[in-house]
Amino acid sequence: MTIPVKKFISQKILKKEVLESGLCTGCGACVGLCPYQVIYHDRTVQLHACDLENGKCYDYCPRTSTDLNKLRNLLFDAGDMSPEIGAMKGYYFSRATNPQLRENVQHGGTVTALMELALLEGLIDSAIISSPDREFGQSGLVVKDKVELRKNAGSKFTVSPTVAVFNQLEGTKDAGNIGVVATACQALALAKMKLKSVKEDRGKIDQLKLVIGLYCGWAFAAQKFNDLMGQNDIALESISGMDIPAGKNSLEIYTATGTKSFPLSDMQECIRNACHYCLDSTAEYADISVGAARFGDNWEEMRHWNQMIVRTQKGRDLIDLAIKRGVLEVKEAPTESLLQLKKAAVEKKKAALQNIIRKSGSAKNLLYLDCHDPVVQMFLAKQISNKKSR
Amino acid sequence: MSKLLSPAGAKVLFMGNEAIARGALEAGISVAAGYPGTPSSEVIERLAGVAQERKLYVEWSVNEKVALEVAAAASFAGLRSICVMKQNGVNVASDFLLHLTASGTRGGLVLVTCEDPGALSSVNEGESRYFARMLEIPLLEPSNFQEAKDLTKWAFELSEAIGNVVMLRSVTRMSHASGNVICGKLPVKTREAKFDYDGSVMDSQTGPMISTPVVAKHALHQKKLKDVEALFEKSPFNKYVGPAKPQLLIITSSACFLYASEALSMLNLQKRVGILNLSCTLPLPPKLLKKYLRLTNKIMIVEEVLPFLEETVKVLAAGMFAQIGGKTFYGKIDETLPSFGELNPDIVAGALTKIFKIKRKSLPVAYTKELQKAAAIVPAREMTFCAGCPHRASFWNISNAIALDGREGFVCGDIGCYAMAALFPATGYYTTPTLHSMGSGTGLASGFAKLDVFGMNKPILAVCGDSTFYHAVIPALINAQHNRADITFVVMDNAGTAMTGFQPHPGLPTSALKEVVPAVEIAAICKAIGAKVIISDPFDLAATSKILTTFMAEKGSVKVLILRQACALSPEKKGKKIFDVKVNEDLCMGDSCGCNRLCTRIFRCPALTWDRIKKKAAVDEVICAGCGVCYSICPQKAITKTEAASK
Repeated sequence: MTIPVKKFISQKILKKEVLESGLCTGCGACVGLCPYQVIYHDRTVQLHACDLENGKCYDYCPRTSTDLNKLRNLLFDAGDMSPEIGAMKGYYFSRATNPQLRENVQHGGTVTALMELALLEGLIDSAIISSPDREFGQSGLVVKDKVELRKNAGSKFTVSPTVAVFNQLEGTKDAGNIGVVATACQALALAKMKLKSVKEDRGKIDQLKLVIGLYCGWAFAAQKFNDLMGQNDIALESISGMDIPAGKNSLEIYTATGTKSFPLSDMQECIRNACHYCLDSTAEYADISVGAARFGDNWEEMRHWNQMIVRTQKGRDLIDLAIKRGVLEVKEAPTESLLQLKKAAVEKKKAALQNIIRKSGSAKNLLYLDCHDPVVQMFLAKQISNKKSR
Repeated sequence: MSKLLSPAGAKVLFMGNEAIARGALEAGISVAAGYPGTPSSEVIERLAGVAQERKLYVEWSVNEKVALEVAAAASFAGLRSICVMKQNGVNVASDFLLHLTASGTRGGLVLVTCEDPGALSSVNEGESRYFARMLEIPLLEPSNFQEAKDLTKWAFELSEAIGNVVMLRSVTRMSHASGNVICGKLPVKTREAKFDYDGSVMDSQTGPMISTPVVAKHALHQKKLKDVEALFEKSPFNKYVGPAKPQLLIITSSACFLYASEALSMLNLQKRVGILNLSCTLPLPPKLLKKYLRLTNKIMIVEEVLPFLEETVKVLAAGMFAQIGGKTFYGKIDETLPSFGELNPDIVAGALTKIFKIKRKSLPVAYTKELQKAAAIVPAREMTFCAGCPHRASFWNISNAIALDGREGFVCGDIGCYAMAALFPATGYYTTPTLHSMGSGTGLASGFAKLDVFGMNKPILAVCGDSTFYHAVIPALINAQHNRADITFVVMDNAGTAMTGFQPHPGLPTSALKEVVPAVEIAAICKAIGAKVIISDPFDLAATSKILTTFMAEKGSVKVLILRQACALSPEKKGKKIFDVKVNEDLCMGDSCGCNRLCTRIFRCPALTWDRIKKKAAVDEVICAGCGVCYSICPQKAITKTEAASK
């Protein structure tokens, strides 16, 4: 049997544009939709050839072209937009009120507290989070109660195919309303589904009620990270947590036998290739984005706080409820912190654009980005002027 | 009673291979050994069926070389023995054969090689006639079923007359077609096995069975071959049919005699063309040849594949130039006939029309039109694994594991039904780019694995079947283990020599004679050489795929995965379904995004069909073997399986 020649076989183009180009973020957006693509360790694998045009895999991928302007208009109020960190209705420092909850979390426990609240109040029925998986690094997990939620709190530093779990949700009635904790690439994939969703996925996408974004500078490639740990005699299962303390420029790895510190420059090698082409450090397409406060001189104090950007009305409502229920301590963040955040966000955008141009060979070809997008254009112009001034 | 034991004088419809078996019985053989291979397998099978009545020892040997050694031992002990194999088998046996023909034999020993021009069930169309020439042994080629029986019987007498092996060559169309045979007498007396070796080293009948002194024995060997030549001059098996003064002489042998006869009749040339049908083709009798070459100046040699007979005839004709004059030869060397593929009456007739510059009557137009119409509606069927075949599941697992591993690993293929993975890439899910002789997949993998120092950083896999494992894989596997070749070696153990008809092999507790015998376990052998061994069921997709990915990722030497699941057509499985498999049309996504016909487009079990109108998959209940593997691959769980009632 001969397969008729088609112009645009989604799977093939996805392979060429994303997988083979090293742009795949491992978010899982193209996985769980069909039997052809799976995540293995942190790699997206095409098992067999699909010959369909207009496949969802291509449409949902955060590294295929997207009309970002349309997406911003769909999700956010025009007045909230900033070029550096996306939509912002408010910017705060926060932490979970419950000290017990804060014990096992990354910083202030804001994400865990918000998801717990959303589940408890019935705003969502299922939360999709990432869960450590000894063998494969991370995998997505559907949780419905706070015990499971707390068990999986904390940053993991490798990618999780969280979106695949959303794709795989069967019997949408059973899942009910859904909330997802997502990195920037995952949040973008979920947002793209709203923009491009096909008929049969419409119901599920309408059930997606909440996306809590995580600030993300980069993630480690699992194999490279595991190799590095191996070289340093750190058993993967002994790692209880990791962090990048403010102002230290190093990665701290917490194990049962103590803390090991690696200079960030040494960790560069381990960073997933795709992260070098990502412009988004604050998960711009979420309802609320949360990161480490990382501000001021007192890290020991601040490490137990988060900073957060409230982006949508839904996000605002949830924060208000959290304050009302007393689960979250929220305070206005100083302007310097916001300026610092924006500065870092701009750095990432500029670096990523530079990498993209280096890869494509032309400022007119920005791979998955549109060079006419107003935000992209702004940073593109800055980059060109920077170059000139040098 | 087996028809093989029909009384003398009875006219029996025998398949060519049965005629050979009957000939061996009439010759009074005691021992028969062979290794299965199409188109040869029925000879040993039929002999095994009458072993008890005829007091025979019959075995399926581990490979052809050992089969010949077993047969030779009987010969050394004064018994008549037959050794049967397909053309590739002669290559395997050739090392021993070379030495055996140098030492000579005692009791009649006939090596039957059933060959496969056109490679109908082989991966080559190699031929053994050149072995006969190289080894200087008589070659007999029957051209009909009666002759297949009679020549076989006579071959034993000939073997004893010269004290050496006689090769009898058949081809698919002789071995597998059937015709009437008038039976001869079955001997009553049986011989007693007795091996003397205290005679002179130069006397192969009483002395030690060795090839030295080589030169002296070689000279003796050639002298005996001259005696054969004299016998062949007068042999009734070489016959001429045709006019006294033909315009063209066809020299032919084997099934080609039938093609030539039919071609003459198609073109009405019987009165103009004569056929010298040689059944004793080596050594070619020169006097006989001279007699018929003199009849005409135009000679066509009709034979399959290589110009073996043509070369022999031309060499002799050149030597007779003074007596017979120059001739025009038609054959393969001048490209009148192809030197590849099977012949048939049409091809021979085509050659004759060119020589005689005549036109063949073309088919009636209406007939041709009907034919074209019929051809258009015949569905295109691909060669693939049967429904329920464990190999499909095995390659599915291998393909998925290679993809997951992500380093573009590949499989070195081997000989068996699973060779289809290499022959038809979609059947093996594009995993298997090499295919050669039995056992060579493992040897190739052993070599590929050592290329890592030259930049080949891929996981290397090899596959083989259970029978192939014993036949030729073991040395290659030991080589890999000893030389630290990092390979993932998969034994597709389907509990028998399935491709040729479930002949037993050393891994099974049963023999050709259906006796209970010790089974030699593959896992135990692999463990004994120090390899890591895991046994899995290929139908358990999740477990098998996981073992494979782990094996590929692991650094080391040989890692063995034995995939155990009996062949879908095996006697113990045939007709019995484990599961009733159905498609729930409400759940089937068909060709939309999310499935895109995984089961019928990629997995491609012949029992899964695609309903073009409903755009849904369906299960053909008649073909479905009920293995339930498609249930595991369906992303929608639209394929359901329930315990079969008929279980």
